[in-house]
Amino acid sequence: MVILENVTKVYNEGTPQAFEALRAVNLHLAEGETVILSGVSGSGKSTLLSLIAALDKPSSGKIIVEGELVSKLPDLHASAYRAKTIGVVFQHFNLLETLSVEENVMAPLINTGLPLETIKTMAAKSMETAAIVHKASQEVKALSGGEKQRCAIARALVHDPKLILCDEPTANLDKANSLKFIEILRTLRSMGKTVIVATHDPLFEGLDFVDRVFHMEDGAIVNQESGAGSPEQ
Amino acid sequence: MQNSAFFHFLTLLLFKQKSKHIGAVLISVVIIFLLSSVLFLSTSLRYSLLATMDKQADFTVTRMQAGKAVNTPSAWTDKILEINGVTKVAPRVYGRYFFAPRENAFLIVGVDFFDEQSSQALERLIGKVDMKRFFSEESMLVGEGVRQFLRAHYFNRDFTFKTPVGKFKKVTIFQTLPESANLIANDMIVMPIDLAREIFGMQEDEVTDITFNVPNDAEWDNIVTKLHLMFYDVRVIDKREIKKAYENLYNYKGGLFLLLYLITIVTFMLILYQRYSMVYSTERKEIGILRAVGWSIRDILKLKFYENLVIVIVSFIIGVLLAYLYVFVLGAPLLDRLFLGGANLHNHVSFVPVVEFGTLGSVFLFYAIPFLAAVLIPAWKIAVTPPKEAML
Repeated sequence: MVILENVTKVYNEGTPQAFEALRAVNLHLAEGETVILSGVSGSGKSTLLSLIAALDKPSSGKIIVEGELVSKLPDLHASAYRAKTIGVVFQHFNLLETLSVEENVMAPLINTGLPLETIKTMAAKSMETAAIVHKASQEVKALSGGEKQRCAIARALVHDPKLILCDEPTANLDKANSLKFIEILRTLRSMGKTVIVATHDPLFEGLDFVDRVFHMEDGAIVNQESGAGSPEQ
Repeated sequence: MQNSAFFHFLTLLLFKQKSKHIGAVLISVVIIFLLSSVLFLSTSLRYSLLATMDKQADFTVTRMQAGKAVNTPSAWTDKILEINGVTKVAPRVYGRYFFAPRENAFLIVGVDFFDEQSSQALERLIGKVDMKRFFSEESMLVGEGVRQFLRAHYFNRDFTFKTPVGKFKKVTIFQTLPESANLIANDMIVMPIDLAREIFGMQEDEVTDITFNVPNDAEWDNIVTKLHLMFYDVRVIDKREIKKAYENLYNYKGGLFLLLYLITIVTFMLILYQRYSMVYSTERKEIGILRAVGWSIRDILKLKFYENLVIVIVSFIIGVLLAYLYVFVLGAPLLDRLFLGGANLHNHVSFVPVVEFGTLGSVFLFYAIPFLAAVLIPAWKIAVTPPKEAML
């Protein structure tokens, strides 16, 4: 499902301020796996997710998702890839604050050519999965952190992507909302989605549905453990 | 419909982000309002003047001495009448009468009330004049501006002119010329031709100039040649020259405004460009988010294009409607002084509603293209940056 081969990312390449955020990362994920990327802030987790999401390009190496070479995609194809294959839940939610929950959730489908009614039906279904359907018409700026997070999840799921990427999803949530998020992850797992969660939240340790945990340090994967949900356990 | 979702989303963004657009709409409305007002005003004035010009005689001749226009012998009238193809020859007596205490001048026009052509023209302007009453004492017809000026100086019933030989001539105000004629007659005094001669100190065999028509356009140049052969000291002005002079005058005034408009528009576009280029603007984040959820650069530009096209169209319609009301309903207060300036008496003119759609179309394009460019170029620059950076 997801293959990374010797992926590196250097910011400000060729300048005295050059910074190597990722160093020869290799990763193979099977379809339906739920994995955790753990590590302290600045270890390269978020950079890795943004490369998989084609939000940025690697300096070298290959990223292949669903057989598609993501690392070399031109803009139009990268947009189509983001619109079809992946859903991203950002640490800071990245929602359009002036729009309602439903309108935010509909946003990824606007240019798909689907009729408005179909888009609304898909948004309703996604909001139900993320347990935010009761706030559908509320403006995002009036929501709590947990509700914003669920709105972001609904948006990430609306186009039924195979791969879900979550970047520090509980960093801005209290414990109760973090636990709710973990329950949604469990649902995603049961739906057969491939999920990559980048986090350093201890709440994610020892979860029974996590297949593997990758520890990152200074831009490299230094350790890999099988999770409690792995068949090996 | 394939685009229904897109236009639904566009409408949502426009309505829910009203505060973001309100400044741009307001400034656009003001700019379009000002420009359209100037265009409406200059078009209307040009139309009225040219319509008036069409009713004027084709040619005007005056005598020149040492390069200066002097009184013309009235005997020329008969000589001009002898030229084949010439019709409606009319001698005219007119000139500026300077009212020294207030440094104002009136235009006195002497009319031969018994001449069929002159009396018909006057009748068209003010209706039938009661000749018996008019000639019972020395009388005059005055323009609206003259009437108001004289009233302000307590000349309610009559006014006393001073002749060049030091005599005083009391003339009764018989009637005011209609307001609809203000554009040309605001500062005008119409009086019998002999009385006008007396006030200007002209001899009985002199006139100011002579007008005539030549119905066959093809003969115009020949007639001018004949006149120059007939009178060595003649100056011939044809209607086309006067038309051109008026057009140039209004084009010049309109051109000044156009220049001001260009300066304003460039400033506004720079502000817009800067606003959209701002590194931490919400615009930037919005574009980054949409890119991150799968929108392509083309989708972003399409959204921004339609979003701002709606702003331009709405501003344009409001600006043009306000300008129409301001010029043709309210009579363009303040702006009319700039256009009618030069006249020494304040002039109240009712502007004839004339709208040139081609000009309005040009205004739209001249506004819409820089506006859209000022928005779309920075939007494109943000859209091509990696979404991760744009969302920061």
